[in-house]
Formats: sequence, structure tokens, C-alpha cells
Amino acid sequence: MLDRKLIEEIILAALSTGGDFAEVFVEDKSNTQLMLQGGKVEKSISGRDFGVGIRIFDGLNSVYAYTNQHTKEQLIKMAIEASKAINQTPRDHTLNFMTEKIINQHKIKKNPNNISSRQKIDVMRQAHEGAKGYNNEISQVTVSYIDEDQKILVANSKGKFVEDQRVRTRLAINAIASKGTQMQSGGFIYGAHKGFEIFKDIEPIEYGKEAARIAVTMLHAEDCPSGKFPVVIENNFGGVIFHEACGHGLEATSVAKKSSVFTDKIGEQVASKIVTAIDDGTIANHWGSSNIDDEGEATRKNVLIENGVLKGYMIDKLNGRRMGMESTGSGRRQSYKFAPTSRMTNTYIAAGDSTPEEIISNTEKGIYAKNLGGGSVNPVTGDFNFAVREAYLIENGKITKPLRGATLIGNGPKILHKIDMVGSNLDHGQGMCGSSSGSIPTNVGQPMIRVTEITVGGRKGAE
Amino acid sequence: MELENLRKLIFAKGKELGFDDMEISYVNRRNFSCKVFKQEIDSYNIAIDGGLALRGIYDGKMGYAYTEKIDETSIETLLKQAIGNAKVIEDDEEEIIFEGSPLYEKIDSYSEELEKVSIDEKINFLKTVEQACYDYDKRVDNVNYCMYQETTVEGGIFNTKGLIKQEKSNSALYYVMVAVKESEDVKSNMELVIGRDFKKFDAKETAKKVVDEALVKLGAKSIKSKEYPILLRNTAAAGLLEAYSTIFSATDVQKGKSQLKDKLGEVIASNKVTIIDDPLMKDGVASRSFDSEGVASKKHVLVEEGCLKTYLHNLKTAQKDGVATTGHAYKSSYKGTITVAPSNFYIAPGDDSYQKLVEGLKDGIMITGLNGLHSGVNTISGDFSLEAEGFLVKEGKVKAPINQITLAGNFYDLLKDIEEIGNDLKFTLPGASYIGSPTLKIKKLSVAGE
Repeated sequence: MLDRKLIEEIILAALSTGGDFAEVFVEDKSNTQLMLQGGKVEKSISGRDFGVGIRIFDGLNSVYAYTNQHTKEQLIKMAIEASKAINQTPRDHTLNFMTEKIINQHKIKKNPNNISSRQKIDVMRQAHEGAKGYNNEISQVTVSYIDEDQKILVANSKGKFVEDQRVRTRLAINAIASKGTQMQSGGFIYGAHKGFEIFKDIEPIEYGKEAARIAVTMLHAEDCPSGKFPVVIENNFGGVIFHEACGHGLEATSVAKKSSVFTDKIGEQVASKIVTAIDDGTIANHWGSSNIDDEGEATRKNVLIENGVLKGYMIDKLNGRRMGMESTGSGRRQSYKFAPTSRMTNTYIAAGDSTPEEIISNTEKGIYAKNLGGGSVNPVTGDFNFAVREAYLIENGKITKPLRGATLIGNGPKILHKIDMVGSNLDHGQGMCGSSSGSIPTNVGQPMIRVTEITVGGRKGAE
Repeated sequence: MELENLRKLIFAKGKELGFDDMEISYVNRRNFSCKVFKQEIDSYNIAIDGGLALRGIYDGKMGYAYTEKIDETSIETLLKQAIGNAKVIEDDEEEIIFEGSPLYEKIDSYSEELEKVSIDEKINFLKTVEQACYDYDKRVDNVNYCMYQETTVEGGIFNTKGLIKQEKSNSALYYVMVAVKESEDVKSNMELVIGRDFKKFDAKETAKKVVDEALVKLGAKSIKSKEYPILLRNTAAAGLLEAYSTIFSATDVQKGKSQLKDKLGEVIASNKVTIIDDPLMKDGVASRSFDSEGVASKKHVLVEEGCLKTYLHNLKTAQKDGVATTGHAYKSSYKGTITVAPSNFYIAPGDDSYQKLVEGLKDGIMITGLNGLHSGVNTISGDFSLEAEGFLVKEGKVKAPINQITLAGNFYDLLKDIEEIGNDLKFTLPGASYIGSPTLKIKKLSVAGE
């Protein structure tokens, strides 16, 4: 992707003012985006991103520079300009790159670059038909398809020289149901660290129907009541609760600066005993997986919480220096335009013993949050919020009427202690997580769980 | 290679390959940002990047492609990708490449002085801000973020209809986030200052503001769930308006994604409400003299005393509605396609001071912050349910701080329920657009807490 000799020169230029570590990240990525709206292809865009990021450490100080200029002169100039932020005695560096061969754990069967637009549009049309044909209340259907083929190279002054390729494909369907002035939407997303073979895993038509089903159900739903309720959160994308409420607080980005409520809590009981939480970047072909992270470290399975006890954090190199701890293979970034930092990969609450039926039948009155939307968290306080896209009332151990417009709020560390049932049906959902190193693909996951009490906000008001 | 020559080559080769009209646009960006933590430089970033986008009409369809590698070797791939993309488009509406407006206003969006501020001055300024926060009150436990950023963007559009438009802008901003602690209670607050005049940046004033606002949150509690009269403070109101700004876009209206469909000339808000989009606004972060299609920018009143006057249009949506474009074509970057977005967009300020609004509230809640605006709003139905914080107001006086509540309602109803509008217009964090609001008095909204 970039000449080895040139990379060596860039690193030496970057270290010319006494930095103690330098890294070069090269990215070459092709993208395709297609959008089908109202049954017609309305958007088709493709392009190629190519750029270089240069990072220098001087103890805990870090400098990051990037450019998509690509001549030797421009790159060396950028490295020198970046190095000017550091003012130490230069030391001798001998670079001896050791090329690492990675064992690819995420085999790609059909690279989307070799698939025609027609074939891509064909699966989008199937999803559209599935949604549109659901019933005549469906007034608009938007299907988005994205694929990307990202090749990266990481080299650093410690001699690392490693390349990786990540191919990701994703289909998203959004359906709108309307009646008079009422409109509700429903969505479904599937993505993987795979090529076009993802359409062997899923039936686009069924996913289209599912998006439409949610929209129509919500169109006929009552406004959600507000107040404190026991809440049963379904598996798959329900895991966004752990992602928002706790995951971000376990990233070294906030732990290293003691901004997180989980700082200095290793070994402490931070959750109820039935909670085990894991971040695993190695799961074959999962959306948030990769062979190596964006600092060139092998990804791994990191146990965050085991039986309620805090076991570890997700750590990148720079924050590892601050914390005196090793990287956990968690350094990620959206592109060469971002310095990497600690991020989640595939994060989930491990499966427990209860069957979903037991959990529902043991809940006298509460809210069943079947499909969750996105949310956000303040890592300083741990306060989180997220939207419920599809909710139901639970009465006398049975799921009864659909409810719309529910938001769940609470405090992450407190909620962890209130999880009193964990189901057996672990599953993962695909999201895009935005943070200081950009927007990256992450999986969230969990089995069905029950939380004894969460504040639910809805339009209906208190009962 | 010179852009001038590159442009000629692309257009010549494009004609050969069968394009009708073509347009290229480019962006060059220089960015500097720096963070200070405990008086050390925590991060220091520099960036030079850019890209070139091509769009052209091929067989009646618009094809888009972009490249970050701007040189002669990219021309053929760029044109062929655009053709490939045009071939799959099924949109039947006529595509337009614009020949130019008769007159363009001049705007002042670039400061040469700003480029002259040295990096040391910027870093020292950040250190002063951080120290001022710690010095201001001993309950300041951590200054989590103390960041400065400066960006210069140069962009242009050229097309085969002879349009040549170029513009350069720059701006600087700094952002501080503090955590204050009293026994085990931790509260955080952040402040963003944006501008083009470095001399106007006041470290002490920012520190005072961000810490004061954090301190008053200490001891916050939830409250009883019920409907309350609400004062939505300026930045919170601006955040909500931003989340719903797409309902004014003709794209959303035409796709049936906005309930403002068929409402032109009708009352959609209380008669106190006037909503303006002004791309020529002085000191507006989203100010520009032309939009992404090269159309001259001008000020538009979207809602006048509650009555909907126009949607935001680009050339294509305007043609579909049989009206003139309002000059709101928008492209998120060289990677995007043309859509519609507001520029400097705001609810016009009223007469009452913030203090007067508080005094006029007998028993209600002042909301100072809303969280989850990217997920807790349904732009289709208008429903929202958001994590909120603020203060209890009793007999016209600000009382105890409140948190861990949600504020729920419907944006279309809220527009009609606005009873008073303050004179304290303030803009929220800039994104694609720069969106502002004064403090709004809302008849009532549903609050969930205890």
C-alpha cells in the first residue's frame, strides 16, 4: 500500500524531535452505497478513500497528523510538521520491521467489489417488496445497502509491520406506516464482517416484513405510560443498554483520566451476580470483529465483568501508558482521519439460565422492550438514555398491548445491580458507535434480561 | 496538477464518454486541534485533506463519484464510476446542472488574523482555561475535556454550464467539560465557544460559566411524574429544533416523511413563532454565499407568526413543486450526494427577557439540557421522549435542581403550545447546520420521574 522504505523514513522523521514511539497507519478503502426509496434506486455512490495517519508519543503526550496527499515529499513534510509539537533530545533509532503474518479468522467468500450493482439492487428490491407488501398502511420504504473493503497497514517504531483487510456488508430497511396524520416507523438492520454471502444468512424479504410489522404495530399502539417499572429487555439489539450504560465507562479513554464511574473498581462487585459481560473482537465474521485492531494488536476476548465482579477494561496503547496496563487489542478508529482510542468490538452479556417464557411469566406488571433504538451516556455520571422502538405492556405475566414512544433512562452502575433475571437466548445486533475516534461498526448483544426498576418516559404520563 | 487543467481534462474526457453536463466540486481542508489535560498537552492533531467530487448527467440520470487521490491518474476511474452509478438510478425526475445566479452577496467568513495566532498562544490559552476551572471552585474534581480546534476550508464548484464559484472560510472553537464533586455526588457540564476572533476568547469567563452551571446541578433529584408547564431554555430548545429541522426540508415533505406536507399557508405554530433561515447571517457558522448547487444564498422566512410560508428547497425539489429554489442544496462532503439542509436556522427572538419568563412561571420546570436527541425523537410522528435535566420553578423563582427525568411530547403539538418567546437567542453545537432558539415557554409537557 505504501513503500516499506518510505514508511521507515516517515517514522524516522516523526521521531526526529525526540518522540519515543511513532506509528504509521495506511488505509485504502473502497465504498459502495445504494439507496432504494419508494421502489426506485435513488442513490448510488462509490469512491475510494486513501490516506495516511502518523502518530507520535512522547511519554503521555501524543501527536496525530493525517493527510490524503500521497507523495513522498508531502508525507515526510507532514511527519516533520507533526514532530514539531515535541521538543525532546532526539535519540538513536534503528528500525527493523518484522512483518507479521496474520491468520485470517474472517474469511470472505464473495467480495462485494466483484458483485454487480444489479445483484445488489435485486436483494434491496426483495427487502422493499417484503415491507411494501406487508399491508396497505405501509406508505414509504427505504432500503439502504452499504459495502466496504478496507485494507490497512500498521507499522511502528517498535518494528511492527502488519496488514489486514476488512470487508463489511450491511442492509438496512426502514418502513413507515401511516393512517391520517399518524406516522410511525419500523426498522431492521443486518450486517457482518462478510461479503455478499450475507444474503445466504438472511432472507431480505423476511427482514422487510419485520420492519413493516414494527411500523404497523406501533401505528396502532397506545402512548407509553411514564414512571418506574420493571423492564424486560429482549435479546439482540437490547444489548445496547449494556453498551451505553456500562460499556463506554469501561473504555480506557474515560478510565485513564478517572472520568469513569468504574475507575479503580477492578475486583469489586459492580453488577448483580448473574451478570457476566464480554467484549470479543475475535468472533468469526461478526460485525465488530477484525484480526487486528487499528494499532496492529491482535484482537481478543476480554472478560469485562464476571459473575458481577469487574475484571477488566478495554485498553488502547496510549491509555495503557497512562494506566500502566497493556493494550487489550481495543484500539479502533473510523479511518486514517482519526487517532485510535479504546473502543468496543462485539460486546455482550453472556447467556444465563432463565428461559424467556419464565422471565415474562414471572413479571406481574412491567414493560417489555422488544426492539431498542439508539441511546447515549454521560461517562462522568453514568447517566444513560435510550429509545424503545417497539414496546409492550406486561400484565399478570403476559405480554398484552403495544406501546409507543418509550424512553428508558437511568444510571449505568445502578442498573447493573438491578438485573435480576438473565435469559438463555443470547443474540447479537449490529450498530454504529460514535465516539472520539469516529463512527465504527460494533455489535451489541445479550439474552433477554429483566431489570427490577427503570424510569420509563412516555407521552401518556403517570398512571 | 492545477485544478484548472484537471477540470478541462475531466470535462473533455467526460464528453467523449457520453456525459451531457458535468460538475466538479472540491474541498481542501486544514485542521488543527489540541487537548490539554492536567496542564499537559494530551493530544495534538494536524490534518491536511480534501477530495474531488464529480457529478454528471448521463442518459438523463445523475451519476456521482469521488476520489481522494486528486491527480490525472484518477480521471478515468472517476468518470467510469459516475457512469456506472448513473446507469442504475431509476429516479425519473429531471436532473439539473445550474448555470449560476445573477447576483451573489458577499459574506465575511474568513479571518486572516485567525491564521496568525501561534500554536503556543492556543495551547497557553487552553492551559489558562483549565487552570481557571480548577481555581474557580474547589469542588471542581476534573476538567475532562479542554479542547481547541481551528479549521480552514476552501471549496469550489465548476461546471460545464460555465459556473465557477469558490469560497474560503475558517473558524475556531474551544470546548470545556468539567466534573464537580460534593461527597459522592458528581455532576458534569460543558461549554462550547465558537468564533473567528481569538482576542475575544475569554478563559476566565468561560471557566466561571461552565463551573457555575455544573455546581448548581449538585444535589439534583428526580421529581414526581406528571404534566408540567415548561420553560425550554435556549440551547435545549435549539437542540430539539435541530432534531426536527428535517421536517422543513422539501425532500422529506415530498417523500411523505414530514407532517408539514400540504400545510403551506396554514397555521402550524403559535402566532408568536417565526422561523428564519439566514445563510448570510453575520458570524453564522453555516454562512455561505452559495449553496452546493451554486445557487445564490439569501434569507428566508419559513414560518411567519405561526404560518408556514415555504419549505427548504434545492433545484430538484423546487422543480417538482413548481417553485423557485430557496438555495438549500447541501452535500455533507465530497462523498455525498445533493440533499437539502438548513444553514443558520433559528426561531426569531421575542421581547421578554429570560428573567421575565422565569418570573412569569408560577409552578413548573425549566429544562436546561436534553440528551439522546439522536435516538429519542421520532421525526416521522413528531413524538419525542428525552432524558432531561433542569430546575424546579416555584412562584417565579428557580428552586431545586432536577435530573433523571424524561420530557415527552410531540413536536408538532409543541409548536402550537409555545406561549412566550424570550429575547435570548442562542445557537447549539454546529453540525451540518447552525441552529438556534431563544428560551420558549411551553404550555405543558409530560415529565416522567419518580
